[in-house]
Amino acid sequence: MIARTAVLALLLATGVAAAQGLDWSADEVRAVLRHGPWPPPMRPDPSNRVSGKRDAIALGEKLFFEPRLSRDGRLLCASCHVPYRGWQDGRARALGLAEVDRNTPSVLNVRMQRWFGWDGAGDSLWAQSLRPILDAREMGASAAQAAALVRGDAEYGCRYRRSFGMAPEADDEAVLVGVAKALAAFQETLVSGRSAFDDFRDALARGDAAAAARYPRAAQRGLRLFVGKGACNACHLGPAFSNGEFHDTGVPFFIRGGVDPGRHGGIRRLQASAYNLLGRYNDDRSGAAATRTRHVALEHRNFGEFKVPGLRNAALTAPYMHNGSLATLADVVRHYSELDVERLHADGEAILKPLRLTPQDSADLVAFLESLTERESALGERQAALPCSP
Amino acid sequence: MRAAALLIALTVLGTARAAELPVFDAHVHYSHDAWESLPPKEAIVLLRKAGLKRALVSSSGDDGQQRLYAEAPELVLPSLRPYRSRGEISTWVRDDSVPSYLEERLKKFRYVALGEFHLYGADADLAVPRRLVQLAKQHALFLHAHSDIDAVERIFRQDPGARVLWAHAGFERPEKVREMLRKHRNLWCDLAFRSEHGSGGKVPAEWRAAFLEFPDRFMVGTDTFTPERWHYIVEHAQWSRQWLADLPAEVAERIAWKNGETLFGSLLRR
Repeated sequence: MIARTAVLALLLATGVAAAQGLDWSADEVRAVLRHGPWPPPMRPDPSNRVSGKRDAIALGEKLFFEPRLSRDGRLLCASCHVPYRGWQDGRARALGLAEVDRNTPSVLNVRMQRWFGWDGAGDSLWAQSLRPILDAREMGASAAQAAALVRGDAEYGCRYRRSFGMAPEADDEAVLVGVAKALAAFQETLVSGRSAFDDFRDALARGDAAAAARYPRAAQRGLRLFVGKGACNACHLGPAFSNGEFHDTGVPFFIRGGVDPGRHGGIRRLQASAYNLLGRYNDDRSGAAATRTRHVALEHRNFGEFKVPGLRNAALTAPYMHNGSLATLADVVRHYSELDVERLHADGEAILKPLRLTPQDSADLVAFLESLTERESALGERQAALPCSP
Repeated sequence: MRAAALLIALTVLGTARAAELPVFDAHVHYSHDAWESLPPKEAIVLLRKAGLKRALVSSSGDDGQQRLYAEAPELVLPSLRPYRSRGEISTWVRDDSVPSYLEERLKKFRYVALGEFHLYGADADLAVPRRLVQLAKQHALFLHAHSDIDAVERIFRQDPGARVLWAHAGFERPEKVREMLRKHRNLWCDLAFRSEHGSGGKVPAEWRAAFLEFPDRFMVGTDTFTPERWHYIVEHAQWSRQWLADLPAEVAERIAWKNGETLFGSLLRR
């Protein structure tokens, strides 16, 4: 451990010639190391008493693929969050019972977020998980329908008892929240596998130049842009490549019949929600989990802001942006290269400037983004669940 | 019990007053992408829906607000930007063709102000901004300046009689804003794109002190810097009424609309 620390200190002090002549400065190495290690440890959600519990995860998985949670019995969570499509749907805008105005985000790595949904209207993964069940345009169900399913199906009733240590409550809304907490417990297990970038990052961390050299040169150049001239890591930071916050990146936000207010509407919905962490369904008795909800403030700048998405497996989750308006990663890079600063307030998003990338720079940045794709899934094959025994 | 009833009655009255409060929106843009997505008639409907008494409107290029003015001259107060198209925010100060553009527009149309323009630091002493200040003086127009303190000071050095509407109150802290207002009697502030003075419908002490010391020097504004933000004008007016209700009624009225009306309302009748 001491030797490893010493090597890292040496790297940070002197920089490193990682591969094929591409020298990395100490600052660059430090910036790259902040994007790992991967995967990060699991930290149970204190607001969800069944977070991390095996029985609840199994219940949540079953519910995730359950069509009877939708009004017409044909839609399931996995209709939009399709496992073989990177846990999204490949559409510009999601299609439930009707088409909605936003792109379906992947639920891979969703447990690393602090606000949920493009507008952050959910302050917990379980609160976010019940929203599409109730949304008339998505699954269009109700608390009564969800509760009737759990109470009326012996298998669900059994699993609910094993997960929560009690029979489904008499109150429909309480059962719906239980369903959502089990769904959240399952989604917390959805973590992407390691990527070529992770191997490079860890090689840098241990000072292994030979291993680092295996990372494609184009991806290295793109990474250098990402943490350097592009300053992409100002928002896409940390192991999940997101600061979890909301920004106006100059993407138009008109929708049919008006505009999508983004974070501004999200804060309003969050504050009005009976399921936020200030409400009675928060299992965290310390109050700590609700701190951010208590203090979130509505500002004019929130109008038209959308959440910074994580970038892991981005190559598998086209199209991009909150409304799916950009078809490819190259389009996204072009957006930031040619950014229309007139769409940004002069004192709003000061960090954003047109990158004016050369074609080579753009291709390198895309190569880097593609290198964030998992080499293989970290998730095991889905197993047929054994019947629940009380 | 009686005190509680009185409090409820006052609250109801206060809410009613706030709901009726007209608003002078001192920071509206109607640039080409706005009028493409929101034609003048529809834009005016939004302004009326917001309960605006008047709006100080500028656009890039100038045709947009002229179309709006033609549609509702009693509602729209035109201001002339030194931008012929969007994208000239940072280049206009060194663009020698800007003064002749302004002069030409000033001959053809009537305005109450020049701006909103973006001007920082020593750039204010460049030839083009100097000419802008001279034109404002010559035509007795306000200057709507999105500027730092340095640029505002330079404008006043060029023309001590200039009248400056300081966009966003320079994004300065209220103590600094008060300093500037004490120093310059011809300086007014719009509060556009700021939230901290009225967050949650409450005015914090440092801003309350500023509003009470200078009740005649502040105005509210939405800042529709993208076309989508036109759809925020109604909500912004409502938000403004909420925090203004936390101030004495007379001060609230002045900031909501009377200051704007007093300063700009009669300028087109000259």
